[in-house]
Amino acid sequence: MTSKGSRALGERKLPPYIPLLFPAVAFMVLMYVWPFISSVIQSFLVEDQPSLANYVKVWELYRKDIVFTFAVTLFNTALTGVVAVMFSVYFRLRQNRISALLSAIFKLPIFIPFVVVSQMMNSFLAPHGLLNTALAQLGIVNLEKPLQLFNFTGLSFGFAWKQIPFAVLIIHGGFQMIDNSYIEAARSVGAKMPSIILRVLVPMNKSSIIVALVLVYSQIIGTFTLPYMLIGGKVPTTITVDIAHRVNYFRDFGVANALGVCSYIMVLFTAAYYLRSKIREARQEVSG
Amino acid sequence: MNRILKKSAELALLVLVFLIVIGPMVSLFLWSIAQKWYWPHPLPQTITFDYWAQALGLKTSLAIGAVSIVSAFTLSLLIAVSTVVIAMAIAVPAGYALAKYKIPFGTIVLFLFLLPNAFPQQPIFVNILQIFTRIGLAGTVPGVMLIHILVGLVYGVWITNATFRSIPPSMEEAARSVGATAFKAFYKISLPLAAPGLFSSAVFVFLTSLDEFTGTFFIGLPFINTLPLTLYSSSGYNMQFASVIALILLVPSVLFMLLIQKVLKAEYVGGMG
Repeated sequence: MTSKGSRALGERKLPPYIPLLFPAVAFMVLMYVWPFISSVIQSFLVEDQPSLANYVKVWELYRKDIVFTFAVTLFNTALTGVVAVMFSVYFRLRQNRISALLSAIFKLPIFIPFVVVSQMMNSFLAPHGLLNTALAQLGIVNLEKPLQLFNFTGLSFGFAWKQIPFAVLIIHGGFQMIDNSYIEAARSVGAKMPSIILRVLVPMNKSSIIVALVLVYSQIIGTFTLPYMLIGGKVPTTITVDIAHRVNYFRDFGVANALGVCSYIMVLFTAAYYLRSKIREARQEVSG
Repeated sequence: MNRILKKSAELALLVLVFLIVIGPMVSLFLWSIAQKWYWPHPLPQTITFDYWAQALGLKTSLAIGAVSIVSAFTLSLLIAVSTVVIAMAIAVPAGYALAKYKIPFGTIVLFLFLLPNAFPQQPIFVNILQIFTRIGLAGTVPGVMLIHILVGLVYGVWITNATFRSIPPSMEEAARSVGATAFKAFYKISLPLAAPGLFSSAVFVFLTSLDEFTGTFFIGLPFINTLPLTLYSSSGYNMQFASVIALILLVPSVLFMLLIQKVLKAEYVGGMG
């Protein structure tokens, strides 16, 4: 079997990478590229006729949800960026027992899958959940009127809980590459800490900060579990929840795909940046 | 004085972060043992490990909402193990080829394996559902496996590719120069050197399959109930069982990821679930 196969390959002088790559590439074409192209085409079809009706429906029914999704994503990307940079700077500049403990605690959420995070937040943020009762014990919250968190705020808490540690992992990795001598040089010419952070550390680590934010941004747009289990069908909700409703309740693939294309458009710039930087990185590794 | 102030600020930060990170997990644990937890009590009034026993099939209960997760657990394990075997069988040769050969159109191939990370995957699952419905794969175990392979394959290719890249080509060349065939050089030299990386990549693919929710939700429901889907369906009316399942999913993820994190690039670990 094997010898026959290799002889056949030898006769046609097939380069060895073709049979090695073929299964993976064929799988990706069938299971990713085809559905991807199909999602774009189907969004412009109604009963097999070209039409913009799906997009009209998206505009009529879901424009609030598109704005909501965009708002949640932008807010959380910005929040993650600011908080993660602050923690990463702290971890870079202070190395003691407290910061070591903190960075260990920070690792936990990264490894917990979204479906578990969603269940956690579902019970933790509930009107009578642990957060509200704990805050009530401290006298901050009146349990007759508990904090309602199955909305923008709770969703942001869940995303921040999961994404800030992830961003810290990437950004802190970048800060560790910066040699101490830069900080000392800036200090020796009289620079204060805030200006060292803003003018030396952050600009030198720009690329890993951008990569972290790009990944966080596109992940939040595409996340289904957390908004589905926290907000569900309430208005406003995220596009991902709308897509599931369109498919499960109406078997309406046209509108679901139009919503999907909207989410592609939202990540267009981050996707382009991500793909370009990864391919450049891979090329450098090959030539280097 | 200034130093004491700084130290206490640091300690306050530590406590605050600790509470925020640990709070939701504590909530999950309390719910998994709460027999009676009436509002507005801050803690459950009566606790029991019965939910654990029932969920794990150690005890049969006729209580409303009691679920045994043994069958879901077995199914999840079966799917995860098959996914690892098939995804790795496809990913290892591809990762090796991308690392060792100069491939024309190599950029396009790279591009192909990067796309799923750059764009939302949910619309893909929706369209696969349509295709699978036509060919009878929707709502079947093989259909769900194909989805899990898709999710895992991308990471599998990237991690194995990085692993093989880190092995200097001179090692295989030396083996070839003393007469080893290409296959033997790979099998005897590169494969053992790459073993830790390949193992990490397999563990990672296993975890993505075990924790996969969105794709299984579209392709598998209502017939295929993996652990994450059982979690979801009990979440609405049965916090105790949902919490037990969530904790059962949480433990292997955290343990294995701590084990293999050093081998992984930071950006992979964010793509889970």
